[in-house]
Amino acid sequence: MILIAIILGCVVGALIGINMPMISYTYSGYLAIAIIAALDSVFGGIASTLNKNFDLKIFVTGFFGNAILSILLTYLGQKLNVDIYLAAIVVFVGRMFNNLAIIRRYYIEKWSENRRKNDKKEENKTVGK
Amino acid sequence: MKRKQIAITLGIMCFLLAVALCVQIKTMSSANSTVSQTLADNELRDEVLKMKERYDNIYASLEDAQSELEKTRQEATQNDVTAEAKEQELKENNMLLGNADVRGEGVEVVLEDADTTNNNVNPSLQIIHYDDIQWVINELKNAGAEAIEVNGQRIVNTTAITCEGNIIKINGIKIGSPFCIKAIGSQSLLYGALERAGSWLDEIRNGGNVAEVTKMDDIIISKYSGIISYEYLKEDK
Repeated sequence: MILIAIILGCVVGALIGINMPMISYTYSGYLAIAIIAALDSVFGGIASTLNKNFDLKIFVTGFFGNAILSILLTYLGQKLNVDIYLAAIVVFVGRMFNNLAIIRRYYIEKWSENRRKNDKKEENKTVGK
Repeated sequence: MKRKQIAITLGIMCFLLAVALCVQIKTMSSANSTVSQTLADNELRDEVLKMKERYDNIYASLEDAQSELEKTRQEATQNDVTAEAKEQELKENNMLLGNADVRGEGVEVVLEDADTTNNNVNPSLQIIHYDDIQWVINELKNAGAEAIEVNGQRIVNTTAITCEGNIIKINGIKIGSPFCIKAIGSQSLLYGALERAGSWLDEIRNGGNVAEVTKMDDIIISKYSGIISYEYLKEDK
């Protein structure tokens, strides 16, 4: 269900995004950092769903809050001539890897558990015979 | 119920993400960026792109203002015979000066650099020079061309065609091969003038360059994109 929603959202979004007008080059830097922040939030959301501690309020505020904060930081960095957006990228990408690791571990554990169960079942069958 | 809620939220977020991603990718690919190794180059490129964007925006607003002016003028002259005549005169003058888009029959000349490198021929003969273009324009004017344009640059009375190293500038704007010269005038006269035996086009073709003349029934020539201004001119009474 969640997987279907994600895929559907991505496909519809891509279709609409292709037909959207271009934004001006000046603002593309801000959009890029907002995309990274949003990507991090989505991965975080998936990971927390798997861990069963998903909180809608935290997720939605995180999604928009992180994007807006990172845009503001990038703007501030440009005014101060410091590449603050690099720090934001490091944090977000680092968290993305963490969340990806959580997702990966969850599925590997599930998979190996299933295999163990199947093995046991087959053992029981052979013993029963 | 809760699972459904999660799915919908995640779906919406993914939707927003995908839209932003696509827009960004589209923007970046249109900026035809070749990522440079040095920061200075990147900054310069950024600067140039920003300037170009600003120029485009200002140019667009200029066009808006001009069309508004045209509209106002039309409204003002709607119910006035003398004003209408003046308006007509103004339109004609603008057409002749190059301040208006014009259309009509004429010819299209395409000049293109030779694409194969033949060692026996002087390499200088294998490219189109600025004077080749000047020659063609002179021939067209001699044959009575009423409006001429080269690669979108209208030839007006302030136009200069100059050679700047390995590029050609017309109206101060860089243009390159292939050169598409459009001229409005009598088809047969223009064609005859260009294709007569021993014409400059033969000279151009000798080096292996491409020079094609086609008669066209309907050519649209765009207006001059700059502004013709004067400072020292006075009327002699």
